[in-house]
Amino acid sequence: MSVTTNETPVAVEETAAAAAPPPRRRGFLAGGHYIPYAMILPAVAALVGVLAYPLYQLFDLSFQNINRYSYLVNPALSKYIGFEGYGKVLGDDQFWEVVLRSIWFTLELVVLSMVLGMLFALLLNRVSGWVKVICITVMMFVWAIPALVTGTIFRWLFASNGGVVDYIGYLFTGDEKTKHYDWFADPTVGLYVVGAAVIVWGALPFLVLGLNAALTQVPKELLEAAKLDGATGLQAFRHVVIPVIKPFLMISAALSFIWDFQVFAQIFSLRNTSPEPGYWTIGTYLFQKGIVASKYSDSSVISIAMILLMLAVLVFYIRQMLKIGAQDR
Amino acid sequence: MTTVDTTATAGAAAAAPKVRAKVRATGQNPVMTWVWNTLGLGFAVVMGFPIYWMIITTFKTNKDLIAKDPTFWPQAFSFDSYKTIFDDKECLPGLQNTVVITLGAVVLGLVVGFLAAVAVARFGFRGRNFFIVTMLVVQMVPLLAIIVPLFVVMNKAGMTGTLFGAMLAYLVFTVPYVVWTLRSFIVNIPAELDEAAMVDGCTQWGAFFRVILPLTLPGLITTGVYSWIQAWNEFVVANVLLSTGGQKTSMIWLTFYATTPTRGADYGSQMAGALLVSLPVIVLFVIFQKKVSAGLTAGAVKG
Repeated sequence: MSVTTNETPVAVEETAAAAAPPPRRRGFLAGGHYIPYAMILPAVAALVGVLAYPLYQLFDLSFQNINRYSYLVNPALSKYIGFEGYGKVLGDDQFWEVVLRSIWFTLELVVLSMVLGMLFALLLNRVSGWVKVICITVMMFVWAIPALVTGTIFRWLFASNGGVVDYIGYLFTGDEKTKHYDWFADPTVGLYVVGAAVIVWGALPFLVLGLNAALTQVPKELLEAAKLDGATGLQAFRHVVIPVIKPFLMISAALSFIWDFQVFAQIFSLRNTSPEPGYWTIGTYLFQKGIVASKYSDSSVISIAMILLMLAVLVFYIRQMLKIGAQDR
Repeated sequence: MTTVDTTATAGAAAAAPKVRAKVRATGQNPVMTWVWNTLGLGFAVVMGFPIYWMIITTFKTNKDLIAKDPTFWPQAFSFDSYKTIFDDKECLPGLQNTVVITLGAVVLGLVVGFLAAVAVARFGFRGRNFFIVTMLVVQMVPLLAIIVPLFVVMNKAGMTGTLFGAMLAYLVFTVPYVVWTLRSFIVNIPAELDEAAMVDGCTQWGAFFRVILPLTLPGLITTGVYSWIQAWNEFVVANVLLSTGGQKTSMIWLTFYATTPTRGADYGSQMAGALLVSLPVIVLFVIFQKKVSAGLTAGAVKG
């Protein structure tokens, strides 16, 4: 991993900035222009090495026709094919099907997890202390379970033979058929119900605990003042609570979007390491093409599409963060 | 109550009475508290059931496991599942690899990230905002998307199949997170504090070790725990980078444990393995519970 420091935009920024006018410096590090640059150098080097060069490679690969065979066995076969690879991937109906499915699925997950997270965070502020402790302990456990394992657990809970969910359904309805209902037969049900359940279940601890911590930062005086001025509970929530916790709301919504859009491990283990095409969201699709089928160039095109799709949504968010950044100091 | 804000939407006004009742209930109305407690416990049961199921499965005998109806409480407790897991000769090396990679990624990430965070929080230098925004954007690049080129690059550098390669790859998600979160911790330490220490005779390094470091410690723990969990539970990168060298982490071992036909139906052992692998993270959470929840909002503080 040879890091050539002059080629990347980050490094250029560094050297250009070395001639900057002396910035304000206080405290234990007064004096020495080079100090901040020396301090961020390791971080920059690591990220350039592990991220920037592969990103460059990603584009390079996307214009070639490399797969595992031509890469490892017969390098002479690989050549640059221009945009042909893009045409191939983008002309594939399955690709658009997967993209559309990912968008719907992500939308469902983000909305569900944010709304449920907020409701339970508010609920935690109402319950007695001992109930809160129980809830937090349970959530810590849920949080600690690896995503891969959660998929496996839910696969059994929803199994058509001896599955708990079907059994509970049977206890309620008394219908022998519910006992062997196959949740995974129809990928739409399997993904949008069971898949969503796994992912939301796994995401809730972070959201509930985070939102609850954010809610405690809302000054009591503000709420009391709003109440005195005649605001109803919902109005106070909308005009007092939401503005105060907005930074955390934004970060957690953005993080949820990032995680849910690229979700992979849960679906992968939910379908026992080989998800059927009906379960393919963009992360799974990428894994199937890039790792299972070892079509390196095709998967690079998909990766680029995936990154662009995410950026398109997150541009709004990045602009907001930039605004906050500009107000710094 | 009569002077309802006219700017409020009709929907808000319609839903208002119900919410108002909620607000009044806090700590006063015992009936409402009772209702909230029931709801809270219901939430805990639903959230906790999969965990309970996971744990109870590991103690079930084969008779219970293959029973037609699921058994909610085993008739007899058996430790066979754990025996099977500990007898598996790939279990311990996998765990060892995971510990090495995770420890390396967390320590390296904390050192590198902490340095950069101090620079960003305490210096106004050109390119600073650019660096901060880069840290944010980097967190958005899906690791899955660069996994193939990363494999190509690591292969060129001769680092596929080595634990160090995986460790380096993990820095992609630990470093930006550490910088971003620690920055807000350090910004909140007033510069006057270390100035005062230096006036009182501390050297620059003295001020660093006696003032900055102790005050950042909670932040370091929070970010450390997070990075630990991410690295510990990581699967895709480890799978791709290590597969050529025949090395395994616990996650890889666990994932493919069930794929051999002889073990496919042995749910008990699979869950015992899963529990064993999750245990270190659970312990970490229990120890640092308070700090973890406190650190959640830290990254979102403007600073």
